[in-house]
Amino acid sequence: MSTTGNEAARDTAGPATSDRAAAAHRRGGRSPALRMLATRSVGAVAVLLAVTVVVFLFVHLAPGGPEQALAGREATPEQLAAIRARYGLDDPLWQQYLRYLGALTHLDLGTSLLRREPVTRSIGQAAGVTAPLVLISWLLAAVAGTALGMFTALRAGSRLDRVVLALTVLAASTPVFATGLLLAWVFGIQLDWLPVLGAGRDGGDRARYLVLPILTTTLVLLASSTRFARVRIGQILEEDQVTFARARGLSTSYVLVRIVLRNAAVQTITLSGAVLIAMLGGLVVVEQVFALPGLGTLLVTAIGARDIPVIQGVTLVVAVAVVVVNLVVDLLCLAVDPRMRRGLEVDR
Amino acid sequence: MSPAGIVLARRPRARRFLAGPGVPPGVAAAALFLGLVAVWVVAPGLAPHDPALIRPGDAYQGPSSAHLLGTDPLGRDVLSRLIDGARTAVLAPLALAAGTIAVSTTLAVLAGYLRGWVDAVISRVVDVLYSIPALMVAIVIVGVTGGGFGLSIIVLLVFGLPANVRVLRAAVMERAALPYVEAARTLGVSTPRIMLTQLVPAIGPLVITSFFLQITFAIVDLSSLSFLGLGVPPGASDWGRMMAENRATMSANFFSTAAPGLCLAAVAVSANVLGDWLYTRYEQAGRSR
Repeated sequence: MSTTGNEAARDTAGPATSDRAAAAHRRGGRSPALRMLATRSVGAVAVLLAVTVVVFLFVHLAPGGPEQALAGREATPEQLAAIRARYGLDDPLWQQYLRYLGALTHLDLGTSLLRREPVTRSIGQAAGVTAPLVLISWLLAAVAGTALGMFTALRAGSRLDRVVLALTVLAASTPVFATGLLLAWVFGIQLDWLPVLGAGRDGGDRARYLVLPILTTTLVLLASSTRFARVRIGQILEEDQVTFARARGLSTSYVLVRIVLRNAAVQTITLSGAVLIAMLGGLVVVEQVFALPGLGTLLVTAIGARDIPVIQGVTLVVAVAVVVVNLVVDLLCLAVDPRMRRGLEVDR
Repeated sequence: MSPAGIVLARRPRARRFLAGPGVPPGVAAAALFLGLVAVWVVAPGLAPHDPALIRPGDAYQGPSSAHLLGTDPLGRDVLSRLIDGARTAVLAPLALAAGTIAVSTTLAVLAGYLRGWVDAVISRVVDVLYSIPALMVAIVIVGVTGGGFGLSIIVLLVFGLPANVRVLRAAVMERAALPYVEAARTLGVSTPRIMLTQLVPAIGPLVITSFFLQITFAIVDLSSLSFLGLGVPPGASDWGRMMAENRATMSANFFSTAAPGLCLAAVAVSANVLGDWLYTRYEQAGRSR
């Protein structure tokens, strides 16, 4: 979780266009947006291929070597030999890798050693817990953070501004499990309002169990997004265009929505993507705190049991998620900012 | 131009940087608390009991005069474990932050002063690292290889680089364009010497600030790893690990979980507050000229 408002505060620059991109635009050609999308997609595929190589090597990095990783710790020498033959572990590495890649194209992630079921099934069940947790927290934090940031930026220097700033420092610096345990203790144990362990059964029950984990994750994400929005919106409010818009007698709501929010949109979207990615490790911790059977818990259990196929599978899913988030961020930026659609480079 | 860049275009007055009136109470409290933890680090003998002594008969006790913060499920004294754990809780993040900032500064000076292909390579690598979830990678790598504390520190060090290299590189670029650097070049001062004697001191305050902020990230990430049971060996009185071990019995002795949690949060917040304050002072020192 290394992206907090501090960095944002130091790392924010105003919008700037690059001459090179402008020149590329003048040279014409097909839609710059499409070209950018194509480059990004190729890049995404390259990244995913690189990840499959690393994930493939997990088997060979594991202590005891690949055959023990696949057979489990209690395997006899005969079993190990059988495993070597069955999985072709004596073949050259590149052949093994191609075989692994071939299985991946069939969405075959292997079989879990611990749970004795296809890894895809374990991951599917776990994702049903993790996906709502991530998406709801992310959405809440992005919306509330921008709102809080704008609210405090408009009251810069006030007591409220300083209190919110202090709270963001507190929330961003506290390890997520400490926040989670505190919330669990207050709302789960002392007040006894909400369940603190497990994910419950389906539907409404599940929702009740997810409240505290979502609250924890949102608090941590909110710290970064509020701090960032506060800094960025504060900068925009000082720009001439805002003064000029006010001088023209435009209403406050018009200035805030059409000028401030639109100018802050690209950086806000980019940051919320970065924050979400940085938060993935924290999510593993949150799931552990609340004993949620999500992807993080699946990963930690697999690590404890040396269940390499599951570790490989979860890592791949996370890598795909990161790549997808980055692509979605790019698409949203294109949708929001006409300068980027025209191929002008915007500082994000 | 980034805010850091604006600041660095002017040379801050070094002497007035730290000394000066008006230390906010929050900063004083942060410094005081870090001082207390520093005492724990250098003098683990302050612990009233043996932190590893297991006494099942004393388990689950609340605070008393014998055990100020009570005992954990194995009957170990919480306060003693807290004091004993200060070393891993503080020294490891300190080492991690120092390493991250040292490497970041080196890369930033190289990229920002030499430019050309060196800059291109460093910036590209930094961009790639930026979009990788550090803690997640650390969990997976440490988990798969079964590597210990050292490996987790190395992984987190590498992934702590991007943000710092970006900020510091921008600062170096601002400085490299100033007349005194050009003058040094004209006088025939060698490139490594310019970097060491002109550029590194010039961004010094920003380096120190980044170091403090990096401590916060290091504490959060390292303690998360130990909370998950990765990195620190079992039985070690690490604050993150204490919370993981004691949380199930929170209702028996609240302090066995709350005390290490509070200490972790307080150290991380203190480092952040100090870093922020240093940065603001540094910014003001730059502007006042």
